Amino acid sequence: MDGVGLEAYLIVGAILFGCGFACLLVKRNAIAILMGVELLLNGANLNFLAFARFTSLGLDGQVIGLFVIVLAAAEAAVALAIALNFYNNHLSIDVDSAKELKD
Amino acid sequence: MTFAELVAQWLQQGLKSPLGPFAPELVISAAIVGALLVRLGGFDRAIPAWFVALGGSLLALLLAVTGLDDVPRTLAVDDQLLFTGLLRLDPWAAFFRVYVLLFTALIVGLIVLTRLVDHEDNPDLFAMLLGATLGMLLMCSANHVLMLFLGIEMASIPSYAMTGFFKGRRQSGEAALKFAVYGAAAAGILLYGLSLVCGILGTADLQEFSPKLALIFGDAALGDRVAETRGLALGLILILAGFGFKLSLVPFHFWCPDAFEGAAAEIAAYLSVASKGAAFAALVRFLAAIFDPTIPAMASMGYGAGIVLGGVAILTATLGNLAAYPQTNLKRLFAYSTIAHAGYLLMGVAAWLVLLSSSLVRQDGTPAAQRALEGLVYYLVAYLFMNLVVFAATAMIRNQIFSEDLRRWSGLGASAPLLTGCLAVGLFSLIGVPPFGGFIGKLFVFSSLVDASSLHGIFWIVLAAGAINTVFSLFYYVKILRVMVLSPRSAETAGELNVEWADNSYLLMITIPIVVLGLAVPLVLPICQWAAGPWSL
Repeated sequence: MDGVGLEAYLIVGAILFGCGFACLLVKRNAIAILMGVELLLNGANLNFLAFARFTSLGLDGQVIGLFVIVLAAAEAAVALAIALNFYNNHLSIDVDSAKELKD
Repeated sequence: MTFAELVAQWLQQGLKSPLGPFAPELVISAAIVGALLVRLGGFDRAIPAWFVALGGSLLALLLAVTGLDDVPRTLAVDDQLLFTGLLRLDPWAAFFRVYVLLFTALIVGLIVLTRLVDHEDNPDLFAMLLGATLGMLLMCSANHVLMLFLGIEMASIPSYAMTGFFKGRRQSGEAALKFAVYGAAAAGILLYGLSLVCGILGTADLQEFSPKLALIFGDAALGDRVAETRGLALGLILILAGFGFKLSLVPFHFWCPDAFEGAAAEIAAYLSVASKGAAFAALVRFLAAIFDPTIPAMASMGYGAGIVLGGVAILTATLGNLAAYPQTNLKRLFAYSTIAHAGYLLMGVAAWLVLLSSSLVRQDGTPAAQRALEGLVYYLVAYLFMNLVVFAATAMIRNQIFSEDLRRWSGLGASAPLLTGCLAVGLFSLIGVPPFGGFIGKLFVFSSLVDASSLHGIFWIVLAAGAINTVFSLFYYVKILRVMVLSPRSAETAGELNVEWADNSYLLMITIPIVVLGLAVPLVLPICQWAAGPWSL
């Protein structure tokens, strides 16, 4: 563990967040976008755990990390059900085909 | 502390344990389980799920209202903390708990009246509705970043599912997909911002924010601690983006019209009022925790943040009103009207933040900041009733003529005078015409903008934008009434309205408070003053 400081973890977290954000902007497949969201949440989670280890955030950070894992699973379950329903109605999960509702 | 000691402590404390004040949330949790369980063994033929949901939300409302007397009205924060400081039940939280529960009970009643769901789907919808309510209750009283995020997610996830509740409708599926994808992304961004702020401060407890900030900054200015300032500023921008999504602020508003158009009018009403109220409660609590005016560095950062929020509020109100004008789908029109009202409410938050941040510089800063909060609360109360009336009337007309297209509503007013009258009261209150509640709310918010404009000139622009928007919103709100009342029936008009007495009395019940809020200000203002008093936040 020696030599790996807080900054290294934060950089990995930031890269995960950046990848997730890029995924949101570039991908057109609803499932791929949801995978990008998982990356966002995991980037944030890594931050919490690193801060828990290196700052006075302590146990709070680890508990938040645990809760976020559960919340991400719940969010994915609902979002995948919605994506499946969208596929049943539109025969596609391309978010660009979601364009019937507009001004 | 071992488990046995913990149990012994609970038993010893009796009603003073945190479970007493937490009773409304417990009742809602029980109602969720009850609504799902009645389907087992055919109990729902004797006790329908809506009965469990309505009973549960009314009982929770009753407990929340009777609990108002026990809320500690002290300046000692420790008395207000529940569950080792995870929640804080101050008058602010207690007020918004009643707000959310009152609206939930009214919406459950509306769903029962309009027969939105059939017998089979009853338990599913009500379990999700009450689940979202539980999340909003946690948002109102959260005193810890974990509870804040948990509450926001618990309120959001059922909302996505409720938007797409009618599985066979193409529009509903599309709306739910958009809402879920944008919502999940916003949650990720919010969490990343929270992780930065918590990490830099080294705590996740909102009460600990100000001591930790004093430790970091002391009397130093922002420029002396560049690394911390940058990290905090980045974190706060991400957090405000996450809240901006929940509040449908420009430029994070794009989900709102689509989700409202795809969802049923009753669900849209729920999203438009309850989730906005809870999100404003949580936002103000978070901002009050982080922008402590006694620390010079945070005071100057809060001052800047207030000015930025003022700019966002101008954009939100203007874009909402401009985009509402050409709409013909009523739910979409009211979605843009919701965005516009989020803008007016944010004007109040911006004025409050600027007044609070400069309260050390200016003698009357603190009372002025409190007046701004009171105005915000008053506006939110009026907003509850006036928005519910317009959505309820839309749902009732939809039930009769199966259309939410304004062009098919022409000349319908004559066949349902009471419904049209209630809708008119709601619409005029949304515009802000005296003597209705919306006028008083707007008056309070605008007067706090005048207070803030003595600190920074941009608030004159915010005030002017608010006034111009109010005039402009007249056109599209009145257009609805003109089409319904003055236009003749046309070939497109779909049938007659034949509103039942139950629907009429429901509408009357929620319209009367709008008039009361407009005429009996001294009756309601003390409640708002209590909620926003110095013992809160």
